Amino acid sequence: MTSPLRLLVNGVPVETPVPPSERLLDTLRWRLGLRGTKEGCRTGACGACTVLIGGHPRLSCLTLSHQVGEEPILTVEGLESDPVGRAVMDVFVAEAALQCGYCTPGFVVALTGLLKEHPGASESSLLEGLQGNLCRCTGYSSIRRAVTRLAEPAP
Amino acid sequence: MIRSDSPRKVRGALEYGVDLDAPGALHAVLIRSPVAHGRLRTLDLERVRSSPGVVAAIGAAELAELLPSRRGDPSRPAFPSEELRYRGEPVAAVAARTLGEARAAALRARIEVDPLPIVAQIEDVFPEWPGSGEGESEHVNAHVLARQGDTERVFARADRVVRGKYRTAGIVQMPLEPHACLARVEEESWRVQSSTQSPFGVREDTSAILGLPEEQVVVEASWVGGGFGGKGAALLEPYALLLAAASHRPVKLQLSYAEEFELSRSTLPSTIWIESAMSGDAILGRRVRLLLDTGASLPGRDFATGYAIGFIAGPYRIGAVELEGYAVKTNKPPFGPHRAPFAPQCVFAGESHTDEIAREAGWDPLEFRERTAWRVGDETPLGQKVGPFGLEEGIARARAIRERWRKELPQGTGIGLAVGFWSTGTGAGGEVLVRLGPTELVIETVEAEIGSGSVIRGLVAVAEEISGLPREAIRIERTDTARGPYDSGVYGSRTLGALGHAVRVAVTKLLEELGRRLPGRGEVRLELLDGKCVASRGEARTGVESLFTDTERATSGMLARGRHYGRGGEILAERVITGGFFGYTDFTAAVHLAAVAVDAETGQVRVVRYAAIADAGHVVDAPTYRAQVEGGVAMGLGEALTEETLWSAEAELMNPGLLDYRVPTLLEIPPIEVEVIEGFPGAGPGGTKGGGEPPIIPVPAAVANAVADASGARVRELPLTPERVARALKLL
Repeated sequence: MTSPLRLLVNGVPVETPVPPSERLLDTLRWRLGLRGTKEGCRTGACGACTVLIGGHPRLSCLTLSHQVGEEPILTVEGLESDPVGRAVMDVFVAEAALQCGYCTPGFVVALTGLLKEHPGASESSLLEGLQGNLCRCTGYSSIRRAVTRLAEPAP
Repeated sequence: MIRSDSPRKVRGALEYGVDLDAPGALHAVLIRSPVAHGRLRTLDLERVRSSPGVVAAIGAAELAELLPSRRGDPSRPAFPSEELRYRGEPVAAVAARTLGEARAAALRARIEVDPLPIVAQIEDVFPEWPGSGEGESEHVNAHVLARQGDTERVFARADRVVRGKYRTAGIVQMPLEPHACLARVEEESWRVQSSTQSPFGVREDTSAILGLPEEQVVVEASWVGGGFGGKGAALLEPYALLLAAASHRPVKLQLSYAEEFELSRSTLPSTIWIESAMSGDAILGRRVRLLLDTGASLPGRDFATGYAIGFIAGPYRIGAVELEGYAVKTNKPPFGPHRAPFAPQCVFAGESHTDEIAREAGWDPLEFRERTAWRVGDETPLGQKVGPFGLEEGIARARAIRERWRKELPQGTGIGLAVGFWSTGTGAGGEVLVRLGPTELVIETVEAEIGSGSVIRGLVAVAEEISGLPREAIRIERTDTARGPYDSGVYGSRTLGALGHAVRVAVTKLLEELGRRLPGRGEVRLELLDGKCVASRGEARTGVESLFTDTERATSGMLARGRHYGRGGEILAERVITGGFFGYTDFTAAVHLAAVAVDAETGQVRVVRYAAIADAGHVVDAPTYRAQVEGGVAMGLGEALTEETLWSAEAELMNPGLLDYRVPTLLEIPPIEVEVIEGFPGAGPGGTKGGGEPPIIPVPAAVANAVADASGARVRELPLTPERVARALKLL
């Protein structure tokens, strides 16, 4: 059983039939073809599926598609059109804050959300905000270097 | 830009195994054993087949009609028909239109099993060390024993004997991307795209399991979201291919995280005993005893016991050494490789023990290692001569870092040192095809970039060094096993040493051929001028396109193959009493320092500083090399502090998920200082040594030694959870 669903994804209104129990992660990946959002643990423990809903970082694996309502959704595919998102991606590229790249969309989306919610946030508060995102490759070292460059200099 | 894959990775634009899809593709689920040990009485899939959306359901009974040869290798059947050897072992598989339908259908399988006795852990077979040569049992997969010198005699005349018993936990690789593949069977072609570290390894396994000629199986790697050893052998590919053959549709098969924990072959628990016979500050002799849980591994496929056991004895001058181990067969899932397979566990035991010897005698552990460490030319217990080795220099550098830390860190901070060593695994050799076109140099390989950068950056950096071309003119082109040159896989820290060497050979051939076509004498180099590849010799510059033959111009340019022949070190056969031991290809040192604070009330350990000194041989790309060290240290900190698979008495994995199996999070990893030593060359191009595995090896030992330094608590069991530390502190 499916029911029609309207979403605003990366600034584009979309309409698709979605069962009431479907997770936003699956709607994005398999109905809308937006596979930049990565499927990880599906239990909210890894952060790989992070998207912005209404500007806030949210785990799309723990969000039902029908819960979203009219809030705009921003996925990694839409980050480039956002100045903060673009800055985050540029710094991640410059610092090579990635290895296998599987957790990377979750990190850049979460960090974009944090920087938009809290402009001028300190490095330590940004790092704290990223604790829900796991990376198995980098030891977080290059990610820290990227965050240092993105954080406001300490007063 | 450090890595050319970064722009696509930050945009989420690459296709990993989990992203694979095809029109009309079915979704598959494995139906798995409900018990750890039993005899399969009934497997009835009728109710599965009649479930909504199901297109195919197969078990052992269906194999014959699906396989052209009627059967595969009887020693590794795709599905068991009699004995079930571990909980979660796949016994059947189902493909349906949607994943939800496949999951619902899988629950309707009727499986009846006559239970058999379960061997859940090492102690069920050997409550204690069985005695040398006394471990004959149907539950033993392998027995290894090697001896150098007369241990009996040196133990008899020792001033004192130091003994320790150590235990290590099971761990899982847990790449963020689970195993996933997409299979198609069309006519004669059994084709699978997979998130794999070794396309040819998967081809070899799959063709054996399915009884198909190797050429009939075609494997293509997708982008790989981390492997860490877990994606080397075939795991899902045979099942997906069988379902594709049964359904005549493409089939996608992907593990859930819980299945990833239960099915991925990784490191299992061990117990290690070490005895050292001491006289003054000399180690007269050492006895090493190892019991390693190898789960439901098949006999003859144990590689870890005879390889890793040498790491327990350590890179030290020891008069006489006896190494003995048993691979114990249990009803856990089979053992498999995990970044530097079983070496961090061995070094945890060996380096904890070395620290204990030193502290007991009142020596500085660093100075003791300085005096006892192998020098170049020393002999290993198996009779190999130690080659270029950065250990001594590494310890000297550690001393300087320790002096600085002692000034900078607050009172009560413990500093621990541990050294590890490793040898690059060469595998069965490999080959690349290199193509020089008018505007670029292309390296053709079957290998995927698994994250380390060894392919996308390492191979390119070697081609840069040899050719002179800038990185933007060099590209990796991934191909499949039907078209591509053979290589044995991205594992064992071998990519640069093996495939990098092949790149060097191929590019050198191209330069030599250009030299024959150019006037004059002397070295030929390539450069990029206005977007064109240009060959230079002395002052002369010539566009390479003008040097091409008509055929080269009409096709894709100049071609050269480069090859690497796998090779290992030689050991003295007379020192091996029984079992398989292996020589080292090269000697790679890793010298680490950890600084920790131990909470005196809770036993919680916080790592506040970390330093890793890496014996790199030669570095082709500094940021990528450093990133390997940082990542290895962080993964090692997980093994040191939190990562542990927990098993019930029925060999059921009790914590198959990230909420109960804790991998390190961002703020748990301290800043990591990395120092690189060059000048002790390895076997790779320009003298490189493997970089991926060495940095994980000493980490658990360095942390354990730091905890002892901070608190006096000697924890002889991994991981160092607050509970274990609190017990060692007598708080519990």
